[in-house]
Amino acid sequence: MPFWLRINMFFRSFFLQAGWNYVKYQNFGFALVMMPFLRRLYRKDPEVLPTVLARYLETFNTHPVMASFCFGAMAKKEETIAETHNVAEYKDQVAEWIGARRGLSITAASIGDRLFWGTLKPLTLLLAIFVWMLLGVNFLESAGAEIPIPPLYAFTACLAAFFVYNAIALFVRWEGLKIGYESDDASCFGLTRFDWNRTIYNAKRIGIFFAVGIILFGVYRFFDGVRVDIHFIARAVLVLSFVMFSFITRRLRLPNVYLYIAAVIIFNIVCLF
Amino acid sequence: MTLSLVLLCVFAALLELDTTYAFQTLISRPIIAGPLMGWLTGDVAAGVQVGIFAELLFSDISPLGGIVPPSGVVATAVPLALYSLGIELYFGFFAGVVSAVLYSFFDMLLRKTRFQWLVFLEKRIGRKPEDITRIVAATLLLSFLMSFLFISAAVWVSSRLIFALYPYIPPKAHFAFDLAYVAVPWIGLAALIPVFRLKTR
Repeated sequence: MPFWLRINMFFRSFFLQAGWNYVKYQNFGFALVMMPFLRRLYRKDPEVLPTVLARYLETFNTHPVMASFCFGAMAKKEETIAETHNVAEYKDQVAEWIGARRGLSITAASIGDRLFWGTLKPLTLLLAIFVWMLLGVNFLESAGAEIPIPPLYAFTACLAAFFVYNAIALFVRWEGLKIGYESDDASCFGLTRFDWNRTIYNAKRIGIFFAVGIILFGVYRFFDGVRVDIHFIARAVLVLSFVMFSFITRRLRLPNVYLYIAAVIIFNIVCLF
Repeated sequence: MTLSLVLLCVFAALLELDTTYAFQTLISRPIIAGPLMGWLTGDVAAGVQVGIFAELLFSDISPLGGIVPPSGVVATAVPLALYSLGIELYFGFFAGVVSAVLYSFFDMLLRKTRFQWLVFLEKRIGRKPEDITRIVAATLLLSFLMSFLFISAAVWVSSRLIFALYPYIPPKAHFAFDLAYVAVPWIGLAALIPVFRLKTR
């Protein structure tokens, strides 16, 4: 794949979800990303482009970062379709293309959801909180917002989270295109080149270390310099009971946001009576 | 609304595009959007706090498949806009969270409406494949405008409502909202422990 074509597809991959809809999901984005490649491949036969594009406008849904593996693999498969000499061969190749698109998009989505949404995003959140805590930013108390923070301190932590997440995401986007294009079905279009499970496992180990550390540090900050009276104890018990309650609501698959809204209502009722 | 609030709504609507429709560099996540918006409204500390709280609160919902999580940008922009108008952060945060939940329903509605144009758009691309770039650009512009209108309306309605109710809010209600607000990071941090359960091997 020529370098400039790869750059073009890489840039367009950022708009994969632009036309997201509930029927065919990312189909418009998929067609948009593949457009420069298809235009180049069928430049001698441009009248077939609408027919080819119709295949790309069918249902497509995967993780936006891992999608680059699909773009590379589908480009390679499209080259095979373009080289067919008869209708039977063409139909076989198209059927293979459809199967590969479906299988690869599901596998890539599964890896991407676990790696990016399930691990890397919460891990970089903890990284940012950890950096803020190291810089002495107090965000646990309501009054914490009234203590000014130098902008440099405020932006250091979020820049750390931004760069760590994007360094990995951009690497996967860029390399995925190349690897997907150069690999074959045997290696699941390059997906087996990385040990995703090990990466996720290691990232989760770091995450659990950060999460426990931050909670312990937070508890220390919560009690540090506070006069322990009946109001403080009542407050701590109420907060703790809601944390315990969150474990139950999680089992019921009820998001925390509804627990917070319930907390506001219950605390208001308790306070008023 | 003042000019700075309009600018904040424009900025928030631009960031909202990053959540789903374009880039997805996660500059729109509350821990990054919060300090940026706080800087715009003149209080970085409030931005940091709201950003952390919003992100921790929504950390247990991921955009898997067709799930539309509550918008972190809306949950950050609304409280900071209200805070710049002199409303306490604990009231603003509640308004922001409710607006963020409503925004997810609004976004779902937009996505459902979009597929009604699908047949027409596909036919158009079939006739003129080059039009796909224009169609995607138009979709982005429409999403931006819808987000801007929603965020502006959320800020305007909640500020009017809180100012109207303010004389009638008893001091105990202030305490209750503050207590629920302070509980947010603890609920969020507790939710992060199961996220990192080692079940991949």
